[in-house]
Amino acid sequence: MKASIAITILLVLVVMSTMATGESKHTAAQILTRADSVANAPRDQTMNMRLVLIDEAGNARERELIMYQKGSDKRMGKFLSPADQAGIAFLSLPEGVMYVYLPAFKKTRRIASHVKNTKFAGTDFTYEDMEAGKYSDKYNPEILRREDGNHVLKLVPKAETESEYSRLILWIDEENSVPTKIEYYDKGDNLCKIMTRDDVVETDGYWFARQMEMSDLRSGQKTKMILQKVQFDQGLSNDMFTERYLIR
Amino acid sequence: MTVKIEQLILCLCLCGFCVTVNAQEHGIQWNGYLQTDNRVQLLGENDFSWHEYRLNLRAEIAPFNKTHFYSEIWVRALGFPEVQNSADLDDNSILRPMNIELREAYIDIYGFMLPELDVRLGRQRIAWGTGDKINPTDNLNPYDLQDIWDFGRHLGSDGMLASLYLGEYTVSTAILPMFTPAVLPAGDWAFIMSQETELPGLIVRNTADSIIMPENNLRETFKGGLKLKKQFFGYDMSISYVYGISDLPIANRALISPTENIGEVDIYSELIYPKMHIAGFDITGAIDEIGVWGEVAMFLPEEVMLVTDMSALGMGVFESVALEDKPYVKYLVGADYTFRNGFYINLQYLHGFMHERGRDNLQNYLLVGSELKLLNNKLKIMPIAGAIEINDFGNIKDNFAMVYAPEITYNPIDNAELAVGTRLIEGSDNTIFGQLKNNDEVYFKLKYSF
Repeated sequence: MKASIAITILLVLVVMSTMATGESKHTAAQILTRADSVANAPRDQTMNMRLVLIDEAGNARERELIMYQKGSDKRMGKFLSPADQAGIAFLSLPEGVMYVYLPAFKKTRRIASHVKNTKFAGTDFTYEDMEAGKYSDKYNPEILRREDGNHVLKLVPKAETESEYSRLILWIDEENSVPTKIEYYDKGDNLCKIMTRDDVVETDGYWFARQMEMSDLRSGQKTKMILQKVQFDQGLSNDMFTERYLIR
Repeated sequence: MTVKIEQLILCLCLCGFCVTVNAQEHGIQWNGYLQTDNRVQLLGENDFSWHEYRLNLRAEIAPFNKTHFYSEIWVRALGFPEVQNSADLDDNSILRPMNIELREAYIDIYGFMLPELDVRLGRQRIAWGTGDKINPTDNLNPYDLQDIWDFGRHLGSDGMLASLYLGEYTVSTAILPMFTPAVLPAGDWAFIMSQETELPGLIVRNTADSIIMPENNLRETFKGGLKLKKQFFGYDMSISYVYGISDLPIANRALISPTENIGEVDIYSELIYPKMHIAGFDITGAIDEIGVWGEVAMFLPEEVMLVTDMSALGMGVFESVALEDKPYVKYLVGADYTFRNGFYINLQYLHGFMHERGRDNLQNYLLVGSELKLLNNKLKIMPIAGAIEINDFGNIKDNFAMVYAPEITYNPIDNAELAVGTRLIEGSDNTIFGQLKNNDEVYFKLKYSF
């Protein structure tokens, strides 16, 4: 009798534990999905941005970029300066397809995944970091804790996701669901980069950070990405996110 | 006269810059670069082998969303003083040779007549193919082989490119009504374009030639191309077809005449530009993390007969085939990869270099490139770079050559790049590169973009 009661209690505990775990995952997924929906809420975005590369000695170099995004999975960027990089453009499409246009050669080039882990135009952002897409499509989330008004999630790449990172730790503002900080861990599970997002504002009903800073802990270099001008819902057509427009 | 025209063009260019402030209001963008390239041979008397100052000027304007203008001019001081006598000393064009070249000048009209149709009109570079710098399917623009180390460079051609975007398909049509011959290599590399003339028992004293240009009409000078592109199974693929005149000449007549010395002859030859059909296929994509690409081009030339007139030697007139009207295939396969430490490597295998023609004359080349970026991308080292040439896999020892060309570039500030490198050549005399094994050189380049 005692044995059957004990087994029953154990089964109940196991079931409750399973339910609790399931609820936790569901919540993490919900939080991440919400963050994705906030980040990709505009139908399209046009962003003029300034990239400031700061080396370990504090010397700064600047790049200017215009970036177009439609939905969550189409993105095109074009360098406006400096002169030796002006005109270089990239196109990020669904399923990890990326192209780069090199005006000096009058050619577009398909980017294989090995390039995605290299620095994007000398910045601390990689091509993978610049890729369009949703976190919830690429990563499995898990709640770690709550901290200073943020949900802290651990993101592990899904089996089908090609990534240079073994995991990300993501801080998401509880009020507006904007990610405010991301820690990137390499394949050896070493913290390699930290991105912070500041100056979070709401414009036209959309929340976004006007300044991002990516610090590379291995090189000591960091890159600031400052949004100078943002336009939402301009009606960008799908045609803009093709090789046809990339070469213009 | 030519110099005056060039000076006039230069003045116009400078005037263009003077009105830049005004032009800015209309959206004209001026940019370009200054590049110097100086080379010194490592052997012998350390001769200078190349001296170039290039000012690249680009102007671009997009006055309306549906149009775009682009032009690119090279102002070059190329070569060395060519003073022959004291009279030359007051001629600046001899003291400091200079030329001006309109590389490209075209307008784009987007959505021309149809929303899906873009048209580019004017002098333009139409770069087809997926290979890195070497493209067997890139046959519309003439080669610019003046600097053989900048292989893959082409001249712009005057014509029209129409691109029709139909969903996942892109159809491109190129129409180039005018013919422009290729620029052939200068200096020590000039020999690679010349045809071998074997005259047993005779010594060649002088050679001279004439180029027979095609008649200046549309029927003779027209070159056209068609390309269809689509993505299949995650790979970008395209098929293409080009018809027209090859921009590299071939001899069809040789007159061999005796000199006053017994056993010595002069050779005079005539060269023509043969027509040919070229069918192409290219592909690019990835296998796992490795980038891969390939190109195949099948050439079907018209037959070119070589008439060798040795009647002055009492040996009659002979006729032989200089270029068979049988198809021959050039191809290239390549792959690249970036290792975890950032070291990039690029390998390409090529069958049939750009100047090689005819089924039995295509050689094999392995081309290697690499790059390691350091100091936040300010320093780039290319430790493994160059080419291997193999003419006969059955006897590699006597048909093998190698070019080793490492380079270091440094960007002290944005827009400025300093490069130093060397080209070391070793190999058999039976190979192209091997014939230049005494031309090892070191070079220094400076580039500033604005």
